[in-house]
Amino acid sequence: MKPSDLVFRVYLAAIFVFVFAPIVTSMIFSFNSDRFPTVPLGSFTTHWYQTAFSRPEVWTAFGNSLIIAVCAAALSTSLGFVTAYTDFRYGFRFKTAYLALALLPPTIPLVIMGLAMLAWLRQLGLSGTLTGIVIAHTVMGAPFAMAICRLRLQQMDSALEAAAWNLGASPWRAMRVVVIPFCLPALISAYCLTAAVSFDEFLVAWFVSGLNKTVPVMILEILQGNVDPQINAIGTVVFLTSMVLVIIAQLLILRKTAR
Amino acid sequence: MTDQDPLVRFAGVRKSYGTFEAVKGIDLDIGRGEFVAIMGPSGCGKTTTLRMLAGLEAPSAGDITLDGRVMNDVPAHERDTPLVWQSLALFPFLNVRENVEFGLKMRGVSKMDSHGRAMMWLERLGLKGFENRRIDQLSGGQRQRVALARSLVTEPQMLLLDEPLSALDAHLVIRMQGVLTRLQRELGITFVYVTHSQSEAFAMADRVVIMGQGEIAQIGKPKEIFRAPKTRFVAEFVGRNNILPGDKAGQEIVVAADRMQVSADQPDAAALPAEFLSEEFAGTSIICYFEGANGEELKAQVTEEELEALDPAPGQRFWLTWAPEASHVITV
Repeated sequence: MKPSDLVFRVYLAAIFVFVFAPIVTSMIFSFNSDRFPTVPLGSFTTHWYQTAFSRPEVWTAFGNSLIIAVCAAALSTSLGFVTAYTDFRYGFRFKTAYLALALLPPTIPLVIMGLAMLAWLRQLGLSGTLTGIVIAHTVMGAPFAMAICRLRLQQMDSALEAAAWNLGASPWRAMRVVVIPFCLPALISAYCLTAAVSFDEFLVAWFVSGLNKTVPVMILEILQGNVDPQINAIGTVVFLTSMVLVIIAQLLILRKTAR
Repeated sequence: MTDQDPLVRFAGVRKSYGTFEAVKGIDLDIGRGEFVAIMGPSGCGKTTTLRMLAGLEAPSAGDITLDGRVMNDVPAHERDTPLVWQSLALFPFLNVRENVEFGLKMRGVSKMDSHGRAMMWLERLGLKGFENRRIDQLSGGQRQRVALARSLVTEPQMLLLDEPLSALDAHLVIRMQGVLTRLQRELGITFVYVTHSQSEAFAMADRVVIMGQGEIAQIGKPKEIFRAPKTRFVAEFVGRNNILPGDKAGQEIVVAADRMQVSADQPDAAALPAEFLSEEFAGTSIICYFEGANGEELKAQVTEEELEALDPAPGQRFWLTWAPEASHVITV
């Protein structure tokens, strides 16, 4: 191994340590019997998991987060795909403006987004409802879904859709049997990613959730009361859920570019 | 409707994109069972013409008639005009058999029936045993044949081909030309073949349509066009021609390079003086390039033996002559 290779590997390892150390620490303490996160560690226990998941409000919060993630991901992915397809298929004036607007939401500070969502959803009478959070998370996820779908559509031979028409498929049918199957890896990947975004999202959810708390909102509320290792247990479950979703998304993105 | 009526008729067909006119009013009849090549440089409107025939572009003016029916408002998916694409446009997420079955499935043919017909066409095109392969597991020539099978499986009365061989290696092009000509003869259907390649057009087509700048420049049998180009554009585009000033104003004389004779000594008959520039090997013969008295480029095709005998050096003076019957006159 050349010295430069060694330096590079050490550097890479350092980055991973830097990124994952806090989360791994939290995971370790979630199995630690001591009340406070200190070293040396106490004994191994699953007590915090048992306590945390014996509380009905934890289950409700997980249920809420799950329902919201599933719905918001479906809506974000549909919206993102349609937006990306419009860009792929049609040329029109102000297309640059259209794309810039479609990709804007992630650049808005979350506090502003949260406040704006709260004001807007209150007008609609949806603040504090699950529907309200789904709407907010759809807005936040759609640009990511669009970016992933655009990437896939750019790899599509534009003659592919026309070839389907030429062989007797109506435009709707061609969409169903050619464009969507072609984009399927991107659609699944966009779905997983936007679900993860929604599942983890705290700030906007905190503004609009009201009594229907999601997991991140509930974690904060528990923390405000006292420092409790149950948080580590809940956090570990949230982290693993999101990680699985993101890994699925990444695998699908990588597989489609390798082809 | 009789068999003598043309299968396709373009009548005053135009296509414009904004202020740009891609096709400037063409009239063209294509007969049943005919192999027509539409040839021209890139941007001449040949692909647009083909796409209008397939319903992928709507004409801005004029009528396209197919089998006696005006097709202008018939959408692409309701026409029976399968197209073999330049990029082939095979569906990458379907295997070979599913690609071939696609057109049948869209037309509601039963699974059993379409399966059998797809297999028959795969076998006919030498793809037996490949039916479960993915598209990216096939060679260029195999993909070409899958694309053909996919278009022919619905037994259309006409097949459109848009530069289908442009992505293939030279030796495969010759082989696919053979496959295409034989298929067309056996099936007896009309082929409309768009290409920029002379060798493809002249080797396969019954009739060649030369297009330039959105207009039809000449229609004729390959040999007619090759030997008797009507305009300067065709003479320059097709073959290797010398275009010389004519005897009368407004006329020019075309002499093909292979009918131009080179001699080192001034012959008795009228001859053009020319300075040797360079030579180019073109298979078994050699093209010699000269500069004429007025700076024009002249070319003559010679054999290897002739080249050895001439042994030309750059700047050396030669004389070019041709038999009277080797030339023909075009009006400018």
